[in-house]
Parts: sequence; structure tokens; C-alpha cells
Amino acid sequence: MAASQTNALNWFLHRITGTFLIFFLITHFWVQHYDHQAASVTHEVVTEKGEMPDYPEEAEEGVEARMGSSAEATPYQVVMQRLADPVYAVLWKGFNILFLVVALHHGFYGLNNVMTDYIRNPMGRLVARALSWTVALGLLILGLYSVITAGW
Amino acid sequence: MAVDTEERPTATASKTDATAQQERRFQRYRIRTGMFAWMMHRLTGVGLVVYLIIHIWGLTALTDPETFNALIAKYHSPIYKVGEFALLVAVAYHAMNGLRIVLIDFLGWSPKQKKLFWTLGAVTAVIILVGGWPSLYALGEWAFGPGSMPTLFL
Repeated sequence: MAASQTNALNWFLHRITGTFLIFFLITHFWVQHYDHQAASVTHEVVTEKGEMPDYPEEAEEGVEARMGSSAEATPYQVVMQRLADPVYAVLWKGFNILFLVVALHHGFYGLNNVMTDYIRNPMGRLVARALSWTVALGLLILGLYSVITAGW
Repeated sequence: MAVDTEERPTATASKTDATAQQERRFQRYRIRTGMFAWMMHRLTGVGLVVYLIIHIWGLTALTDPETFNALIAKYHSPIYKVGEFALLVAVAYHAMNGLRIVLIDFLGWSPKQKKLFWTLGAVTAVIILVGGWPSLYALGEWAFGPGSMPTLFL
């Protein structure tokens, strides 16, 4: 009984997290990959080893404004330049923690659905389930660490 | 997907033993549109979990300037540009087919489901073309020389 209720809840949650992920992804792509103040020029291939991608003028100006006129617009500095704004940093961290939790739940619940379909042995299922959620927990800790400490 | 009621092949009457049983099992799983959509949803889903693991792992580089710069520079190499585009295709397909599943689950099955399928398919194509253009542009410029690609949507 309890198990079937959990399954129904997870089934429902999978649809809710999926819907939320669409909105999270739109925001994520908009802010990180297509915004000229943050995106490295995505339409640029860097072929030499150690060569850095160029940034749009908006990004270079932002880095100079925050980090001083001698600062270079490297990928790291461009991220830091935005995180130096406390309001942006709080919003960014809040958003990414939520994004991380929702994406991990959606991904690993889905993965467990697939594995349950192909693993017939109850013991095998248990092992797969335990292993996959352990990986998810590890990734949650890693991700939280990256998001929280970014910009410190 | 259970309401997919197109012609189901009738079992061959002459074979009654295990072979016929076996054959019917395979015939039941004939790949039609809905089945194909489901298979692709699985494949892209598993792919995206693998990517999620790599992505979270990679972003721990955010704690060190040198490592992070090296990582982003690597993401700008040709092979990663191809991967970037493939990733967008997988994400766009999985998101739009997932939206279709959610709509069907919550709003109910409708006779217009084929229309929904193709409408969302068109939306997916637009997302892939517009969103993926920077990656394709980058690859084209690299492969065919600077100025060889039109600067659409950029």
C-alpha cells in the first residue's frame, strides 16, 4: 500500500518536474548560453590547445567594470563578473539549486523506470536502485558545493 | 500509448506452438509513430542522464579559474560543437515529447493526438534550427573557412 502510494506520487512528480524543467531549461539557456553579457561567442570554434574563446563586447565591458580595466574576459572572469552582483548571485544560486534538485529527481526517477523494465531479478533491481540513487546523492552534494561556493 | 488502435496483425492460425507465440510477441511490437516516439524518449532520456552526470561533474571546475577556463576552451573544440548540437536535439525532442505525454496524461486522450504530435514536432524543429544555429555556424566556419556561413539568428 505504502509502496504503491509512493509510486503514484513519483509518477505524478515526474510529470511536474518535467514541466518545470522546460521552464528551467529555457531560462538556463537564455541566461547562460544566448545572453551576450555572459555567453562566450558560441559560434566560435577554438582549435589550438589552450586558446580561449572570444567574448562579445558587452561581456568584456562587464568584466572591466567589475574587475578593473586590466582584467581579461576569460570564461571564469565572465561568470565571476555576474556573480559579483549580490542580487544576481542570490537569484543565480537559488535558481541553480532548484534546477539541480529537480533535474536529478527527474533524471534518476526516469532511469529507474527504464532499469525496472529490463532488470527482471528483484535483487538486481534493488542493487540498481540503490546504486543509482547513491550516484544521484553524490551528484547532489557535488552540485550544491559548486553552486554555493561559486564566486567566493 | 495503449489506445493506439491501428490495424493489429492477426496471428497466423496454422502455427499454434511456441514459434507462433514468439512471432506474435514480435508482431505486437511493430514500430509505429507512437512506439517510435516512446523509444526515442527512452534513448534521449538515458543519454541526458549520462550528460547530466558529466555536466555536474564538470562544473566542479567552477571552484578553480584555470580548470574552468580550460574546460570552457575544450567545449569550443569541433567535436564538442557536434556534441553540443546533438545535446540540443536530444533536449528539444525529450522536452517536447514529454510535454505531449503530460498533456495526454492530464488532459486526456484526444482524437486530435496526431495533430498534437506533428505540431509539437514542428516546434521541436524550430527550436533545433534556431537554437542550434550557433553550433552549426561554428562548425561550418571551421570546416569551410571564415565567412562561408550565413549569419542567421546571430
